[in-house]
Amino acid sequence: MRQSAIRNPQFLKRGWNVIEITGVTKRYGPKVAVSDLNLSVPDGELFAFLGPNGAGKTTTIKMLCGLLFPTEGTVEIGGFDMRTHGDQARHLVSYVPDQPFLYEKLSGREFLQFTCDMYRMDRDHARRRMAEVIDTFHLDEFVDDLTERYSHGMRQRTVFAAALVHEPKLLIADEPTVGLDPKSIRELKVLLRRLTESGTTVFLSTHTLDIAQELADRIGIIDRGRMLGLGTMTDLRTQAAMDGSLEDLFLKITEGVDAAGVPA
Amino acid sequence: MSDLPLEALEAPPTRTREVAVPSGRRFTPDDQAGVFRRLRYRLSVNGLRTAWASGKVKLISVLGTSVLVAAFVFGLSWYGIDQMFKFNVPAKGLIVGGLFDLMFFTLGGMLIFSTGIILYASLFTSPEARFLLCSPARADRVFAAKFQAAVAFSSWAFLILGVPILVAYGIVAGVPWYFYPLLPLYLLGYVLLPGSVSAMFCLLFVRFAPRNRRQALVVLGAIAVAVLAVWLIRLGVATKATIMTSKKNEVEGLISQFALLQSPVTPSHWMTNGIVAAARGEVMNALVPLGMLWTNGLMLYLGAALLAKQFYRTGYDRVVGGGRGKKVYRANALDRVMEWSVFYLDKPTRILVVKDFRTFRRDPTQWVLLSIFAGMLFLGASNYRAIIKNDLAVLDQYVISLVNVSATCVLLCAGLSRFIFPLISLEGRKFWILGLMPVKREQILRGKFFFAATVSTAFAETLTLVGDLLLGLPPGAIAVHLLTVGVAAVGLSGLNVGLGAYLPNFRETDPSKIVVGFGGTMNMMLGLLFLVVVVTLMAAPVHAAGVAKGYGVNPDLPTWSYFGVPLGLLAGVAAVVLPMRAGARSLNATEF
Repeated sequence: MRQSAIRNPQFLKRGWNVIEITGVTKRYGPKVAVSDLNLSVPDGELFAFLGPNGAGKTTTIKMLCGLLFPTEGTVEIGGFDMRTHGDQARHLVSYVPDQPFLYEKLSGREFLQFTCDMYRMDRDHARRRMAEVIDTFHLDEFVDDLTERYSHGMRQRTVFAAALVHEPKLLIADEPTVGLDPKSIRELKVLLRRLTESGTTVFLSTHTLDIAQELADRIGIIDRGRMLGLGTMTDLRTQAAMDGSLEDLFLKITEGVDAAGVPA
Repeated sequence: MSDLPLEALEAPPTRTREVAVPSGRRFTPDDQAGVFRRLRYRLSVNGLRTAWASGKVKLISVLGTSVLVAAFVFGLSWYGIDQMFKFNVPAKGLIVGGLFDLMFFTLGGMLIFSTGIILYASLFTSPEARFLLCSPARADRVFAAKFQAAVAFSSWAFLILGVPILVAYGIVAGVPWYFYPLLPLYLLGYVLLPGSVSAMFCLLFVRFAPRNRRQALVVLGAIAVAVLAVWLIRLGVATKATIMTSKKNEVEGLISQFALLQSPVTPSHWMTNGIVAAARGEVMNALVPLGMLWTNGLMLYLGAALLAKQFYRTGYDRVVGGGRGKKVYRANALDRVMEWSVFYLDKPTRILVVKDFRTFRRDPTQWVLLSIFAGMLFLGASNYRAIIKNDLAVLDQYVISLVNVSATCVLLCAGLSRFIFPLISLEGRKFWILGLMPVKREQILRGKFFFAATVSTAFAETLTLVGDLLLGLPPGAIAVHLLTVGVAAVGLSGLNVGLGAYLPNFRETDPSKIVVGFGGTMNMMLGLLFLVVVVTLMAAPVHAAGVAKGYGVNPDLPTWSYFGVPLGLLAGVAAVVLPMRAGARSLNATEF
């Protein structure tokens, strides 16, 4: 993806925490999905969120997007409490889910226009940004076709383009590489790095550990709703008392947990 | 500060004073309504364009059928009302008013159900809702967009059926010109009321109902059925009294059962009053009810939007987060009964039948609706008992049994349209799983057909047999009735499965929307048309002959009264073969 297209959005002053999760617990009936989670992610950081299936990653992401509310605790985005100032907080966020949603009867361009309208971008700026993301994500060949004809990879690229067209302060991506070819994955990795350099915070949930190891400034490992490991690769190695790849650390950290989610 | 978005000025937390806004944002008042309006317009235009480009024949045939059915409804209504005027039936104004009251009240009730179900699915379970709730779209704006779509979905059939009836009435009654332009205003205003009521109920229910919503829904459904049952039983008793006598008191007793419908606070009665006044040329009397419909409808809509602003997001959180204890799903005795009941099919088709049955029995929405159908059955059985106790005259036995057969057929039509028509569409993008199985696509269709035909025939035959035996009908009439409902059940099964495959909607995951969509409505109308043909050809001549011969205890009916039977059988065969062939062709041509 051509990087020149992504510009630096200035939403927050440098040094502020874009994500502030404080004492968050989320229960689904009797089941505790997330337990007493505390996490701060400053602006411009690429944070990788890892965990086995059912660990609480998607629940946490849904709370960051304002789709779900914590049973206890608070989630703040850019200083806005998601519960009380959700509409303002969501203006700062873009979410790329693992199963991208597109309106089947809209073309890619119309979907981008809808996104620009929703984020209240003026016409000229929207047109310029649309041209940029179309170029960045190589949508030119199919952007005027209805999205019902898109392959999974095309859909994923279109959703990414829509997520970035309004220059969000926080990009949340859930398994963003699924369905992308090797070239697109490579370009996506470069793009994510460039985004963080320009001040955008990226919250990346993935099972692809080598991408997390390669890209992330910090890594959080969650299992059974509890944050078991948090920090840079060096921090995690210290915590696990071992050297090795992220895969080794991940297995060591998550396998040393009892049924209640408490480290053994 | 002049660069701050409007929202940032609304007393955000202290730290957000540092928030700046990206360049190129508009600082105009929120125009999300316009954004959604443009979205709907674009979706409609593109949808029509692709429908036209991808299947002109299908689109034209659907539109043609629609016009045909509307013309049929118009013709039937025109004939009925014309006869009433021609023979100067006493109190015809009262009768027409009563019929309008009943029609609007019933349709309003149905709209409450259908809009509520569609709205629940679109607000709380659809991928689009999840997408929009992650965007800056305001909760009440998302609600408004979904509400309008749900009301349009659930009420367009009402408009298409209602307009021909009212136009027929207008022509026969010789109404002034402004009656016609007022009709769409009445109908549009009226659909707002039940739509808003069901939206409010839906939002409050999701937000405040106990965690186990399935149980709560079943209880509410049971209460609704019980109330309806009491009213219908009272209505049945009053109707019987009216049939048995021509005294004024009994007629008034019957009319009094509709007191609720004619109450000044009932919106369906405002509709009737307004339309009848417009027909009489009483402009003011026509406009006041119209104003009441719109003002009350809009007020309730605003109330629903306010509730959405307050409760939609927290309600969504509740729906998604409303986990229950772990439930283990496995085969049960009902699956084995289903498999046994289609023993005559080969093993792969039996597997497909059981799969459909299992999917059906695990869907709570289906069960809520099924419990309503079950309630109506219970109601029928209660009425039979009451009728027997009252020692009916032979004429009444025949009249009621014919009504019984017709009602069973209509129930079949409604049930099959609701549960069977969407089956192929609901396979959706998972169809490749079936496509990869070592079975032909025709076999998949056949599986669904036999599933529908087996269950519906068993249901209809049992109901008709029990009803006729309780009424004490002779064996000949019972045999004709059983044959009639059998043909209706099998024919409707073929029609629903075939048209479901011919007019599928693979992109929709909500069965309610599939049913009230274009294809579903066409299917329902064709089903009703088929029933009229079958009952008229097969059952009606027997009853007509009975009337001609004075209804002896065991009448020797003339041969001609059975002539319609083979024609009805032919219609049944056509209803199975033609749609199934068209469906199979369409399914084979579909790429997944």
